[in-house]
Amino acid sequence: MENNNLDNQETQISVLLVDDHPMVQGGLTACLAFYDDINIVGTCNDGADALSKAKALKPDVILMDVSMPNMNGIDATEIITEQCPDVQILIFSMHDSQEFVSSAIQAGASGYVLKDTSSEEVYYAIKAIAKGNTHFSSSIAKMLIENPIKPESEKLTTREQVILSYVARGLSSKEVARTLNISFRTVDAHRRNIKAKLNIESLAEMVRYAVNHGLIEE
Amino acid sequence: MTLPLRLLYVAVLQVILTSFITYFLITDEYRDLSEKNVVILENFLIEQKKQALKNYTSIALTSVNQAYDSPKKNSHQTAQEVVADTFNGLVYNGDDGYFFIYDELGNSIVHPKEPYRVGKNWWQLEDSNGEKIIQLLIKNAKNGGDFYRYNWLKPSEGQKVQKISYSIYMDKWDWMLGTGVYLDDVYQQLSNLQAQMDTHINYTKHIILIVAMSSIFFIFLFGIMVNLSHKKKADAKISELSQRVIDVQEEESRHISRELHDGITQILISIKYSLEATGLYLTKNQQEKPVTLKSAQENLAVAIQEVRRISHHMHPQILDELGLSEAIESIASDFSKRTKVPVQVNKPALRKLLPDFINTTLFRIVQEALTNIQKHAKAKSVLIALSVESDWLTLIIQDDGVGFDIARTQSKGIGLRNLAERVEHHRGKFTIKSSKMGTIITVKIPTASFVNHFNESTIHSDKNDNNNER
Repeated sequence: MENNNLDNQETQISVLLVDDHPMVQGGLTACLAFYDDINIVGTCNDGADALSKAKALKPDVILMDVSMPNMNGIDATEIITEQCPDVQILIFSMHDSQEFVSSAIQAGASGYVLKDTSSEEVYYAIKAIAKGNTHFSSSIAKMLIENPIKPESEKLTTREQVILSYVARGLSSKEVARTLNISFRTVDAHRRNIKAKLNIESLAEMVRYAVNHGLIEE
Repeated sequence: MTLPLRLLYVAVLQVILTSFITYFLITDEYRDLSEKNVVILENFLIEQKKQALKNYTSIALTSVNQAYDSPKKNSHQTAQEVVADTFNGLVYNGDDGYFFIYDELGNSIVHPKEPYRVGKNWWQLEDSNGEKIIQLLIKNAKNGGDFYRYNWLKPSEGQKVQKISYSIYMDKWDWMLGTGVYLDDVYQQLSNLQAQMDTHINYTKHIILIVAMSSIFFIFLFGIMVNLSHKKKADAKISELSQRVIDVQEEESRHISRELHDGITQILISIKYSLEATGLYLTKNQQEKPVTLKSAQENLAVAIQEVRRISHHMHPQILDELGLSEAIESIASDFSKRTKVPVQVNKPALRKLLPDFINTTLFRIVQEALTNIQKHAKAKSVLIALSVESDWLTLIIQDDGVGFDIARTQSKGIGLRNLAERVEHHRGKFTIKSSKMGTIITVKIPTASFVNHFNESTIHSDKNDNNNER
């Protein structure tokens, strides 16, 4: 057993559990409690709550469900990795299709485990991503090897789309930063990414693009 | 629809009945009236003629009064000659009005139009009915003057026609003085009148017929219009209703799917972890896991997979979580795995632009199209393109298969026709073209149908998050 690090708080991994189902939280907590180097520092049950908890608790790893009310785990992952870059996020979901996996990776998740894998594997996954590695459930890994994720260079993330929408509606980067409670530099970085992905140069083109796609009204 | 139709029949029947009754009643009434009129007119005309004859006779008598009344001046014979001469010269009404005189024995004394009769005895003269004409005229005359109808030669026509004659008796000389008119022109006049009336009756008949026919026509026209508008309304209602049914069905599947995924599955997962925790506990205490625990875990894993499969089948959660293009990508890769037919998916850079109902409709179209391709098309490749350009969101599903009979496939009742209706319901356009070169389904939805949806759904909840933080 992994009892040798019992007294070493430094090597204990702090984990935030995000799952909208309390029974799953309970079951998983019960299992992870057997591993002494895992410290569950908090639980919450939706993506929006996860952001504030992540900021407050600064966990090493967040175990993130995908289907949740308010904000799903993938959108939450993107915002948390944007605002707390030190937090590693492990997606913990029932969804096993490639689109979920690639969206999660694009959003900044470090690993993806399925809910029907054993708690032992969850434990190893937490350990792996806490060290800065990645980890995927074996079936997911197999899928990724068979169909490598295409670089989604042209597709905007939800966050980028939100910022495009604000900018197109005439908000300055400063205003966007204030509204989303993020730094001016982060907004600017997003803007650069958006322009690069959509292959456009100017603000006018951004506005036109947003209008043409029904993102905002004219 | 049956009620107006029945009303229509009743109305038409009524019109037919009314026209029928009117037709016969009026015809009958008219004929009756006209016949009465003709009789009255005939009597009137004949009465007029009789009056005229009397007048002519009295005028004629006045003109011979002198010779007749004063025999002293001339001899009896001379007086008679004068009178006879006078009457011979009295002609009226063209050629047909003249006076004739016979003595009491039937000897003709004056007859200007048939002079060969004069001087001969006509006592026994009969007409075709065997009536002794001259005897009857003399008898009338002796009785103080009366009228008699018989057939006689009409000078202007040269043939026998009906004639009415008035005869009086000149007592002094035992002469019978008569004059008559021919009635053929009266009857001509009457038959003209009759013909006119018949024309009029026919005219009325025609009017009744035309009115009846046009009434029936208008009733039918009205009925058809009412029926058509009813049908149109009913069709619209049916379409509306079927859309509602589909909405409800979709909502129901989504709901059940969510219940399964978020409810049952999560409970099963928690049980799974409880069983694992039990296993871990046993291991920690250096006890071996019982076989029953292992088989429980295995069976539970099967149950979880099964519930997931059902949930996914009812409503793919990916549609709600990641949006349409990812959902399309997902079923496309499932399709490729299943059929070994490559599918290329082109998708826009933006995501989650569409509200649920459009998402679901378009997803179902792709699903249905892929099912059709698998069943009928024998395609070598499939292209699914989703794009947003110039006010339209366009979804194209194209295969290079053998095509299929649109009508036949649609009549099998699966979704495409319903889905087409659904697209139109959302103000979109649905077209399908199938040939031996393959099939192209094109769906267009105006951006106006979903503009700002992303902001309303995503950014709105974002703001709430920020409020929570503060």
